[in-house]
Amino acid sequence: MRERFIIHLNVADFPVAVERAVDVRLRGNPVIIAPEGALRAVVYDMSEEAYQSGVRKGMPLRRALRRCPKAVVLPPHPARYEQAMVDFLKHALPYSPLVEVADCQGHLFIDATGIGRLFGPPPDLAWRIRKNVRAQMGFDPIWSVAPNKLVAKAATRIVKPVGEYIVGSGEEEDFLKPLPVHLVPGIESDDLKFFYDFNLTLAGEVARLSMDQLSVLFGSRSQHLHDAVRGIDTSPVLPFPHGKPVITVDYSFGDDTNDVRKVEAVLFTLVEQTGMKLRRKGMTAGRLRVFIDYSDGGQASRQTVMDVPTSNDFNLFASAKFILNKAWKRRIRIRCLRLAADRLAYPAPLQQTLFGKTERNRKDNLISAIDAVRNRFGRSALQVGRVLAA
Amino acid sequence: MDCIFFVGTSGYSYTEWMEAGFYPDGTTSGRMLPLYAQIFSVTELNYTWYQMPRAEAVERQRRLVPPSFLFAAKLTRTLTHEIAPDHWKEEAARYREGVSPLIQSGQLAAVLIQLPPSFTRTSEHRKHLAGLIAELHGLPLAIEFRHRSWVSERVFGELAKRQVTLVGVDGPDLPELFPALDVITNSDLIYIRFHGRNAKGWRSGKMSQQFDYTYSDEELAGWIEQRIIPMAKKAKKGIVFFNNHVRAQAPENARRMIRLLKEQGLTAA
Repeated sequence: MRERFIIHLNVADFPVAVERAVDVRLRGNPVIIAPEGALRAVVYDMSEEAYQSGVRKGMPLRRALRRCPKAVVLPPHPARYEQAMVDFLKHALPYSPLVEVADCQGHLFIDATGIGRLFGPPPDLAWRIRKNVRAQMGFDPIWSVAPNKLVAKAATRIVKPVGEYIVGSGEEEDFLKPLPVHLVPGIESDDLKFFYDFNLTLAGEVARLSMDQLSVLFGSRSQHLHDAVRGIDTSPVLPFPHGKPVITVDYSFGDDTNDVRKVEAVLFTLVEQTGMKLRRKGMTAGRLRVFIDYSDGGQASRQTVMDVPTSNDFNLFASAKFILNKAWKRRIRIRCLRLAADRLAYPAPLQQTLFGKTERNRKDNLISAIDAVRNRFGRSALQVGRVLAA
Repeated sequence: MDCIFFVGTSGYSYTEWMEAGFYPDGTTSGRMLPLYAQIFSVTELNYTWYQMPRAEAVERQRRLVPPSFLFAAKLTRTLTHEIAPDHWKEEAARYREGVSPLIQSGQLAAVLIQLPPSFTRTSEHRKHLAGLIAELHGLPLAIEFRHRSWVSERVFGELAKRQVTLVGVDGPDLPELFPALDVITNSDLIYIRFHGRNAKGWRSGKMSQQFDYTYSDEELAGWIEQRIIPMAKKAKKGIVFFNNHVRAQAPENARRMIRLLKEQGLTAA
């Protein structure tokens, strides 16, 4: 495989960095981001200073404030962070067709392989992007250049909150060796438990285990772990917009609620919206995910793979309700409900039955009829009783 | 005084040098330095400007080349371009530690303090520079100014007093740039950098245009006759780098420079 140059830009504590760019008075002061007005709010994010005082994500706000009484508490502004992410991305897009927005906010990967003649050596490009971001957006991303995404990500983790790191090709394993194994991306807390049980704390110590030894403990995960601690990662930088298509709809309750009927009614509305979008595309969804945001900032989510991919509201709702019940474990009121449908596919042609109509036909026909009425007379022309009852 | 010249390029890790035929196809960046060291006796480390050098990485790099091979290392940007007023002294100490493997092996020819064009001769900048030189005392320092305001006998006198080399530069003929001079402020070392004379691309903000230039034999011979020969009489060692790296013009020019120096009876390692 050709040698790659992956640039990783990482804005530490992205929400705090964005808030500080908006209000410079916050610079240098500890900042905690947590929802306002909730008695049992939990920390959404915090600045490095607050982190040093012992504040962690997901910690109850009261405890966080005991540990860091001087902290300024701000409510989360998700829209603001999303917009900042879009602006951040704009600084990277001109340089490569392969720019990936990573899962975490404030993280970008840029594949700078083969663009040297146009834009100069990758470290210089990384430094220039960072310089522009700093000048125009007011925050200072950490940058790294490495032969793959895994090593690039690990490199920015060790220089947090500001700095840079260049790892050359062939240096991946030497670079990871002295690092604590929890800093290696892709190693999960369950893996760590095993490692600690065996007193393995450094990546280099794990790298001394053979595939056979690892497979005794980790089974099918052993190949992944074997590669990760050696800095082997062939995953490509996915071009933006990347990833598989997904339909996401959400609803924020005016008054946070834990009334089951209300929540289920909203879920049904979300399912209807999703179903409508799917049918307009002529596609079916293979997987559903439900996300719950509680009043106190806590979050929960569950997903399910559909037995038969579908775009039928009734079938979608049965699955959505099932996973809502699994995700909804707390008695705290719900602030926001989100439904995501993905693994979109065109429906496979079905062999029709010769005699009579199946349940499936009847449901599909009903949905088609509802769609026809709504398309002609508007969405509110026909409502399902479940929605009205709440 | 018999001056020995070491000629090389500013940086050696350029993938486009493969397309230009300097490195064989498929050379990974980790294998470039040993190949480079088969041809040249010195290189200028660029990456130390972007990133604080770390002793273990520098040591690994040092082991890739013969013991007689020399390095000049750029000083990190946090000491020259993006100076943090409250902790630059710690950065200077970290830098010294980072390049220590080269000091111990005797392969550190120079530390290049490259200053930005915005670093003009103001009292604040003079103070920082004096502090920086004092903080890095003991290292073989060379200073490259990029603003004309530093052309002053007093500045050169102060550098001579501290045995700091003034870097001779060749670049495009633009009004504010520091001119090509043959001033010697340290008889132990002369240091010359050829940036290319691409006046149009200089301020483009793109390296691919800024350093796109090929020196002709006449231009190089002119430099040797007018400046290098007189300077060679007053110094022990000279290092010469080509920074016009686009399309591997730098290594090609460096090779020609070695040939021309030898033709003039000078010693080139």
